[in-house]
Parts: sequence; C-alpha cells; structure tokens
Amino acid sequence: MASSTNAPTTTKNVSGNTAKPKIPLYEAATQFRNWRFSVDGLAKLRASMNQVAVDAIRKKIEADQPGSSETVSFLTPNEEVLLVKLYLTKITQLCTMFRFPEEIEATATSYLKRFYLRNTVMDWHPKNVMLTALFLATKTCNFPISLETYTKHIPRTQPSDVLDLEFLVAQSLSFEFTVWHAHRALWGIWLDVQSLPDAPVQLQPDLYNAALGHVRASRLTDAEFIYTPSQIALAAFSMEVPEIATRWAESKNSEEHKINLTLSEEIKSLILADGKPPNVDAVREADRRLKLCKNPEKVPGSKAFLAKKAEEEREAAEKRNKKAAQVQQALNDGDPFGNDVDKPRNGLVDYDDDDDD
Amino acid sequence: MAARPGAWLQGKAIRRTQALSSSANTRSSTPQVVSTSSTIFGGGVREADGSERIAEYFSMDDKCPVCESERYLNPKLRLLVSSCYHKMHATLYGPTISCIDTKFTLGPAPCPICGKILRKLAFMHQTFEDLTVEREIAIRRRISKDFNKRRDDFPDLKSYNDYLEWVEEITFNLLNDIDVPQTEARIAEYKKENSNLIELNHQREHAYLRALREQEEYERKEKEQRAFELRKAEEEEREEQEQNKRSIIAKLETSDKDPTKIIAKAKKANALKLANARAASALRSNADVLRSRAAQSFDVPDVPHVPLQDDYYAYDDMFKLKEGPYNDFFSDAVRKDREGIMRGGGYMIEEAWERAIRFAVAGLDIPPLRGLDDPQHKLDISGDVIMA
Repeated sequence: MASSTNAPTTTKNVSGNTAKPKIPLYEAATQFRNWRFSVDGLAKLRASMNQVAVDAIRKKIEADQPGSSETVSFLTPNEEVLLVKLYLTKITQLCTMFRFPEEIEATATSYLKRFYLRNTVMDWHPKNVMLTALFLATKTCNFPISLETYTKHIPRTQPSDVLDLEFLVAQSLSFEFTVWHAHRALWGIWLDVQSLPDAPVQLQPDLYNAALGHVRASRLTDAEFIYTPSQIALAAFSMEVPEIATRWAESKNSEEHKINLTLSEEIKSLILADGKPPNVDAVREADRRLKLCKNPEKVPGSKAFLAKKAEEEREAAEKRNKKAAQVQQALNDGDPFGNDVDKPRNGLVDYDDDDDD
Repeated sequence: MAARPGAWLQGKAIRRTQALSSSANTRSSTPQVVSTSSTIFGGGVREADGSERIAEYFSMDDKCPVCESERYLNPKLRLLVSSCYHKMHATLYGPTISCIDTKFTLGPAPCPICGKILRKLAFMHQTFEDLTVEREIAIRRRISKDFNKRRDDFPDLKSYNDYLEWVEEITFNLLNDIDVPQTEARIAEYKKENSNLIELNHQREHAYLRALREQEEYERKEKEQRAFELRKAEEEEREEQEQNKRSIIAKLETSDKDPTKIIAKAKKANALKLANARAASALRSNADVLRSRAAQSFDVPDVPHVPLQDDYYAYDDMFKLKEGPYNDFFSDAVRKDREGIMRGGGYMIEEAWERAIRFAVAGLDIPPLRGLDDPQHKLDISGDVIMA
C-alpha cells in the first residue's frame, strides 16, 4: 500500500490533474457492493424468492399429476433460513474434523449463506451445497485438499456430489470469492488496543477467545449482510470488554470517520437472539416437509425431471438435425465448401491472389 | 610453414607465429587482432584490459592495395591507414621495402590512391575491420575534445539536450561530408566563443582522472597494508604457539604436578588469548571497511519508488502500527519458529498485523442500510439466478 495516502478528501490523484476522491478499500469490495442488505431488504428478497419458487414448483407438480399440489405444504422463508442454519453448524463440525483454519470455515459459511440469497432450499438441498461450498472455500482460501481425501472422510458422499454443484455455486456467488471476515478484524482490534495512549493492562487470551466465540456466533446470523466486518468485530469485542472497546472506538472517531456506537448494541442483540444452533426438532420437521415440496425437476428420477431432460434432448436433436440439413443442402449443391471458388475470374490477373484466404 | 603434427611430442618449441599461420590456413578469412605498441603511430583504440597497448586489426586476406603484396607470401605484412583512410603496407622489419617507406621518406607526397598529400607520421593503426568505424572514432574524438560542456553548464535539462543534439548534428555532417565548410565554420565559431569554458572543462576532466587514479592507488596500498598485517599476525601467532609449547615442555620438566593438568591449563589460557586477539582484529578491520566505504559513497538522493498507484484509500490515517512487537499470543508460533519454516516465502508478521488492523478499521463508519432501498436480484421463473 502506498504509505503517502491521506484522508480521501485531501489526496490528489498522482497521475492525472483531476483531484478524484479515493475509494476506501472496503467500499470497493464486492462484499460491500453486492452483498449488503437492509434487514427489510433481506426479508423481502427471501420472501419473493420463496414465492417464485413455490409458484414454479406448484406448476411442475400440477403438470406431473393434476390436483396433487393442494395437499403440499411448502416451506416458509423462515423455515428455509432455519434449514440453512443447521447446515452452517455442520460446516463448523467438518472444519473441526479436517482441522481447517478459521478462514476456510468463515468463507464457506459466507458462501452457503450467499448461495441461499440467490437460490432456494426447495430447489437445491443445503446438504450437498454445503459440501460444495466448503470444498470451494478450501480452494479460494489457498488451502486445497484433494477431492478424494475430502469425500473419503465424509460418510455417504461421492466426488460427483461435490463437483456437480460446483459451477452452480460459483455462479450463484457471481464468482465473487473474496470475503472480508470479522475474525480478522477482531484480531486487528485486539492488536490495536495496545496502541491506545494509556494502553490497558495486558489482556488475557481467554478474553480474545470469548470474543472470537461471539464472532463465530455472528456467522449463524445475517450480521455479515447488514454490518461491516469491523462493526461485528467491535460488537463482539465490546461484549467482553465494553469499556476498552468504547475507548478504542472513540479513538478512531473523527471528523471524516463518524463511528456510531449504538450499532454495537444492535449487533449484540442480533448475536444473542440468532447466534445459536437451531432447534433440531423444528429443523427435522422442515426437512420432512421439504422431501415433499422439492422442485421435481431437480430430483433425479421423477416425472418432471425426465420431462425436462426429454425437452432438452429434443432441443439438442433439433439443433443437430438443422445443422445436418444445412450440410446436406451444401453437398447437393456441389462442393461441400460452397461454390464460390468456381466462379469465373473477373480479369486476366487475380489481384486478390494471396494465400491468406 | 605448417607445424608438423606431433612436433610438440618431440619436445620441439613451436613458434607462436607458426601455430598462428597454420591454424589460419584452415580458416583464412577469420579476422584476428594482434597487439602492438602505440609509440609511433596514432589512431586505434585501447584494449579493454586497461593496458597501454592498442589492438590492431589483422586478417589473412590482407593485401597492400599499392604494391599488391599479400600476407600469404609475406606474413610480416603490416598495413597502416593514412589520414585519407587508405591502407598502405609498412613492413617495419625484414627484407621487404614497404610502400610507405618508398613513397614518403623524402617528405610529403600525394596518396597513390586519392592524391591527397600525406606525411609519413600521419599513418595510423587499423583497429577495426571497417575503416568507416575508424574514421568515425577519429572524428568523434576530435569533436569531444572541444565540445566538452557538461550538464552543470546549462540551466536546465532541455537546453543540455538541445546542445547534445546540436553536437550530434555537427558530428553527423562531418561523418557524411555534408556542408563541411559551413560545419567547420560553426566549430571554429563555437571554439572561439567558448574557449574559456572548454579549457575549464579540460582541467576538470584532468582533475577527475587524477582523483580517480589517486583513489585507486590508495585502495591498492590499503590492500597491501592489510595483507601485510595479516601476514604479520599469522607470524606472531605461530611464534606464540611455539613459545607456549616450549614453556609447557619447560614446566613439565621442572614441576612435579600432574602433567595432564598443566597441559589443559596452558591450552585454556592460550585459547582465551587467541580469541581475544581475533575479536580485536575483526573489530578493527570491520570498522576500517565501513569507514572507507562511507568515505567513498556519494550521497545521491533517490526518489522513493511507489510500485502501485491507484485510486484506493487504505485507511492509513486511521491507524498507526506500534513500534516494536505486539503482545500477540495468536502469532506466537510463527514468531518463535527458530528454523523459520513457517516464515518461508517471506512471511512477515508485521504485514499480517497491518492487514488485520486495516480490517479492524475498514468500514467502521459505514451506516447499515435501512428500509427497502437495496437492489433486487433478478430471478427467472424456475427461481434460478439470471447472470448479468
């Protein structure tokens, strides 16, 4: 990083004559640009996605067996979130088993949550999406392990379960793999409080671990879509040592950077309310119903699945036939490469006689 | 003339010239360079090794254009170049009488090729195969002698560059015989106008060369001195050891203590002395080297290099890294890794700290979105994402 950068308003663009304001790094990140929502926005997005999926699936089921969709009870957006949350806890278990670093766990968690902001549980069951998200995270965090090792240690999992969804997941993430994590910000706060003018007495590692626990709990919530990683980390830190956290935040407060300390309270209550694993019974109930209301097009073996396959086959065959017909037509006309070559030359000398064409 | 194969086996001396001509017979066109002294003739270029000798161009195809004698028949043939850049042969030794001798001994005479009046002393060595190169060097040498202004003589870089371009133009004209009289007039005018400055720059050049020579001389002497001191120290060390040995033997002879103890004690005292002496000498020589280096180095202010220039603001005013290490149990393992395996590839804990703290302040002041003003994501009928 250029060490000469100052506040955004005062710095001049070195190359040009125009004094363009600089973009703060976080605001240039895809996380800020594409994965930032308001509480209401999130709810609305989930509701509309749920509605679209329900309508589509109802139509499919009707086409399969008219009148059969009456009895199906579809999942609500909240139930979807609950199901995803259960699989978020599974990521933690897998990461402990594989001894993956914190970075991978956090990244995979973000991937899974982001995936379900663009897809619904009824289309894609989180079980396999979770495996794919974690595998993708090992790669994007520069901690790759082989697919065989990965699937061998997870019961009842084939390499194809992971790979089939990989492109879909990457596409749903818009290939935006970089995630800014709160745990790194927490480490930064832990270090930077030591630079406070009247540095506090030595903080115990237990305090850090407790704060890290709050950051981990925040991963089960929607906090990362609403707040910035540094705000989440500050809230987690202030849950352990509120007075030092406040002092640190005040030292960062300035004319250019106005820090709203009430945000910490918001995040705290969010973590305390949502940051725990879901009730297993409720999830089991949702999962039982999901078996009945899954998108049949995406369940191999069902009528709708076969119908979609057949439709795709038909389209592909049509394309092939069309191409074959064109070739046949050309053959009938004479030369398979067209008849242009046989045209009589315009003059005695062919000025266009170069070998390139 | 060719050396008989196996001659070296019979212990016969093979003369260098014979070996040279025999190898040259096989590849007669290979140009070769021989060195001669530069006492008589001008021209040519000094050899790169810094000696006073001048490399002379030499090829098996040489042939005097005037009398048609060839190197094949006359291996001692030597061609010199006139000031009109025509070759003529000048055997300085041996029975053959050279063209230069016959034509120019009695004073200036016209060149047999172009008719220009030449003198015997104006012939020079040929260093390069191509005579135009020879000529260019001569002209450039002449020009640089007078056009010796420096960057300091100009108020700004632009005017200095203009001057250099003007000099190059004059050189080009002379090289290619364009407007020679006008160019000569320009040179004469310049010389007249700037005679003081030219003289001054000459003196400066001389002073610089002298300083350089003195510096080299000083370094050489210092090196000698160091070598001498080293030798002396070694000599002393050896003598001392000899002395020690003798004293141990004497002690063993006279005292009735345990001989192993006496030897061990003496060895210990000896080692201590040696170590002290070494440390002192190492300290001194290091200090000397540093001092001489500091004396040599010029203080050249360097503009700091900024590798990446972009429009990003990295929160640099929001934090300041602590001097010295942080109290950080989290990175203990990395920092205490004595073998440095964990820091392989240039991992620096300071950079990890900086990144973490940058994350800690990034976006602290961004208020969260409220209400429903966020962008909607487009979905198709089946609920899949539509890619942009």
